[in-house]
Amino acid sequence: MQSFFQTLVSGLSFGAVYSLIALGFSLVYRTMGLVNFAHGAVLMTGAYLASTFYLSARLPFAVAVPAAVLATGVVGLLIERVLRPLESKDVDLMLIGTIGAGTVLEAVAILIWTSSGRGVPSPVRAAPLDVGGVRIPVYNLVVIAVAAVTMVLLTLFLQRTKRGAAMQAVAMDPEAATAVGIHVGRSNAVAFAIGAGLAALAGSLASPMLFVSPTMGDSLGIQGFAAAILGGFGSIPGAIVGGLGIGVIGSFAAQWFQGYSDLVTFVVFTVLVMVRPTGVFGEKTVNRA
Amino acid sequence: MSTLVVENLAVRYGGVSAVRSVSFTVPPGESVGLIGANGAGKTSTLRALMGLVPRAAGTARFGDRDLGKVPARHMVRLGIGYVPEGRHVFAGLPVEKNLLLGAYASKWDSSCRARLSEVYDLFPVLGQMRGRLAGALSGGQQQMLAIGRALMARPVLLLLDEPSMGLSPKLVEVICSALQRLRAEGLSLLLVEQNAMLTFEVTGECLVLENGSVAMTGTSAALRDDPRVRKIYLGL
Repeated sequence: MQSFFQTLVSGLSFGAVYSLIALGFSLVYRTMGLVNFAHGAVLMTGAYLASTFYLSARLPFAVAVPAAVLATGVVGLLIERVLRPLESKDVDLMLIGTIGAGTVLEAVAILIWTSSGRGVPSPVRAAPLDVGGVRIPVYNLVVIAVAAVTMVLLTLFLQRTKRGAAMQAVAMDPEAATAVGIHVGRSNAVAFAIGAGLAALAGSLASPMLFVSPTMGDSLGIQGFAAAILGGFGSIPGAIVGGLGIGVIGSFAAQWFQGYSDLVTFVVFTVLVMVRPTGVFGEKTVNRA
Repeated sequence: MSTLVVENLAVRYGGVSAVRSVSFTVPPGESVGLIGANGAGKTSTLRALMGLVPRAAGTARFGDRDLGKVPARHMVRLGIGYVPEGRHVFAGLPVEKNLLLGAYASKWDSSCRARLSEVYDLFPVLGQMRGRLAGALSGGQQQMLAIGRALMARPVLLLLDEPSMGLSPKLVEVICSALQRLRAEGLSLLLVEQNAMLTFEVTGECLVLENGSVAMTGTSAALRDDPRVRKIYLGL
């Protein structure tokens, strides 16, 4: 029973990271109608920036992570600016452009940080909490809390602010959005930057639990992408539920099937998506005719 | 108050001429209709005015502004509201958010709230549905929402593209009386329609477009009695 809860908590903290990644995917999809295939590479960039600020510049982790989120947001703005001519032609072209942008980011990361990767020590040195015999690493709780606060803030931003409403309007109908005075290009840039910031947050939170390397975005990106689909692509609550779901499934798969954990996780994922193709919170797809 | 002056407007898609040469004027407080069959160039004319498609030739001025130099997103600041063909509401957002987004260019303050209740007064059904997702509304309600959204910016000139499309005769009447009321309040209208009867009721002057050119022009009352118009557009 104890090992069950141990596995569950570990799954939830990885799930919180996947949720953040899925949020970035869903936000960009919801506001731009675009699946951002550079998302994993952006995450890796954020993780490297955070670890550099933390280990080399010796900033406190709580400062290094927000700094990396901001810096990666600027990287997102640059990517959107470079790809914007493609978007005005066809959003599918921009999708291919994001694959290219991801490749470029990985190459740049290898040039700057080499391909060997680095470990990041946990910033929380306190002993694990003992809850009824279940040992919970404090850092895992920090990750879950930070992810939860971020999700609440993002939801408030989309539902309560003018800019958030405008960003959603742009996705639903760019032309009608233009007619009411919304700058579609600027709205997309902001959406892309927020998505990049979310990826950076996920990457830097995950780095003490994993290993920072130029290819870390590939597997994390896939997990987050699966999480977004499982929850219902484009749905904000769906991203959260999907992320936690993939995290918990993956954690139990690792416990019971060791080396086959990814295989088992994605078989379960495939079956779930076959049963419910629209995902848990599946909505009508956003049409950009 | 500003006058809309359109001179020799032309629109081409690739090598195909959608609008060859169209000229007209909408003076302040006046209401002008563009009627014609499918493909006559009505929608292209409106979209070119809004800057949503490029103009191949001609000029459009609104007061002292050359609309050719104004990006589409700034039209609303000049007081030009646009109700697109096929309604184009923000389907995944609630009715009231749709309306508030209509006032995106201004502050969401008390005057915006006042405008909101004016729109609910014009279309009471929108007030009853304010929390509902726009995509869940009927076609007629979406049309009212699209008009209401454009009104939220307090335009002086409203461009409407086929507001009667796909609506039942009863709903066409609702839209018709709303447009008459707006006109009585001093709003200038440029109405593009296939429904000639509706257009004649709402506008003072009309142009009949055929193959991208102006085939006939005159007061709506005169055109309604014109034998050719009666035969082709009214089926009488």
